[in-house]
Amino acid sequence: MQVLGLASSLVDDTVLDGSRHHRRTSGTPVDGTAVADLEPMLRRIVVARLGDHPAAEDLVQETLVRVLDARDRIEPRMLEPYAIATVRNVMATMWRAEGREERNRHRAHDPGVPDPADAHLLEEEERLALRTAVGRLDRDERAALVAHDVDGQDTRSLAEEAGSTAGAVAARLSRTRARLRVEYLLALEQVEPPTERCRSVLLAVSAADRRRQRELGAAQHLLECEDCGRLSVPLLRRAPARDDETRVAISADPDIVTARRAARAVAARAGLTGADLTLVATAVSEVARNIVRFAVQGEVVIELLDGPRPGVRIVARDAGPGIADLEQAQRDGYSTCAGLGLGLPGARRLMDDFDIVSTPGQGTTVSMTKWIPRRT
Amino acid sequence: MNDGPALVSILRQGDTLVASVHTALDDSEMVRFQEDLVRQIGEHRARGVIIDVAALDVLDSFGSRTLRTIAEMARLRGALTVIVGIQPAVAYAMVRLGTGPGEVPTALDLEEGLAHLARARDPGGGGSVR
Ligand SMILES: [Zn+2]
Repeated sequence: MQVLGLASSLVDDTVLDGSRHHRRTSGTPVDGTAVADLEPMLRRIVVARLGDHPAAEDLVQETLVRVLDARDRIEPRMLEPYAIATVRNVMATMWRAEGREERNRHRAHDPGVPDPADAHLLEEEERLALRTAVGRLDRDERAALVAHDVDGQDTRSLAEEAGSTAGAVAARLSRTRARLRVEYLLALEQVEPPTERCRSVLLAVSAADRRRQRELGAAQHLLECEDCGRLSVPLLRRAPARDDETRVAISADPDIVTARRAARAVAARAGLTGADLTLVATAVSEVARNIVRFAVQGEVVIELLDGPRPGVRIVARDAGPGIADLEQAQRDGYSTCAGLGLGLPGARRLMDDFDIVSTPGQGTTVSMTKWIPRRT
Repeated sequence: MNDGPALVSILRQGDTLVASVHTALDDSEMVRFQEDLVRQIGEHRARGVIIDVAALDVLDSFGSRTLRTIAEMARLRGALTVIVGIQPAVAYAMVRLGTGPGEVPTALDLEEGLAHLARARDPGGGGSVR
């Protein structure tokens, strides 16, 4: 059947979160120390879910081993999201296994011997998922995809048939593939996305469409929505890495230091020098601390800006409780009242532009920019 | 303080403790440093404390406040604290941030810090405190 033929061309290493197909990513490989550094974070995640379940420590270690195995093909900036997705998968697998054991208890079954049927079952699951995903495409989309990827028809002749241009056909094919990847993952994980926005967000991530991602508030959604957060990992790994953007996941004290170091490095690459580097690093420290103290987790994204003027933009985003009274939070005395301090007034004074959006119950996003002084 | 290379060292020199921060500390490490130092002030009956922060590339609001807290706790236990080695860029950021060492005396480097302590202990011996 044709659908199966599609598997190799569409799925290859890009969609499967398994271990069979790998493509090495270019760029700096992740080193082992960086993986080991993930351990406290992973343990927190496992303990949050499993409490003092006897298998908790094993799951942490298993996750570390898996991440270590995969480190050649993970972009350094994706290491944390990858580890988080892996630990969630490892936990889910354990629950599934426990459920199966429960169901199989009446059979004579030696759990020490892996069931060869399991591996077969997995392949079957993937095949089914792909078939379901292809079934969710429009008829036209499906026809074009099969004609191009299976039958080898080129975009020009496809364009002639459709009365369109080769460029338009190629763009459409690439959107279709992006959609297929999303539907494949949803079918494989048997997830029905919890919100209406989920599919659009995943599609924008899959298509690496940054404009659409911004319109949809994709980054914020990935923080809030557990399903999309997990599903986006294989999709993000596929997207071309951007060397003008660095992402640091924030969930504990050490992340504050990581974020400000990353900010300093990016700012230096952008051309900032001397005291400006320290100002940026200090401002990042303040906003990252807000996330740890008030929102528990979030991320800091540091990006280089080309226009209208060259600069460094920091976006600190969380899905925490939000700030009810923004005006008060930005006033100076507030810090001392709140004990640990919100650090916002300080960060504002360190940067050139500062903007904060917060919705109670949904989270807070701080965007701040340092412009690079023109040299004369 | 824990396994691995020391983040901070606290050395005793007569009745003065010299605490050097060797690398960027996160907040929990900063708090541990505070606890260690205040405990040692008591143990060694120190009269002077020097905190060398030359290795720090950032002193944000939390870092500054922790240093002020240490100095205040030391004062309550009878020891005078001097902070030394604040880098120029760090000093600039502290001014912009609106935080700073507050009333805690500062000095350029370890030598100046020790001289400051000596003057404070023996005001007749030359110069005045602050
Ligand atoms: Zn979602």
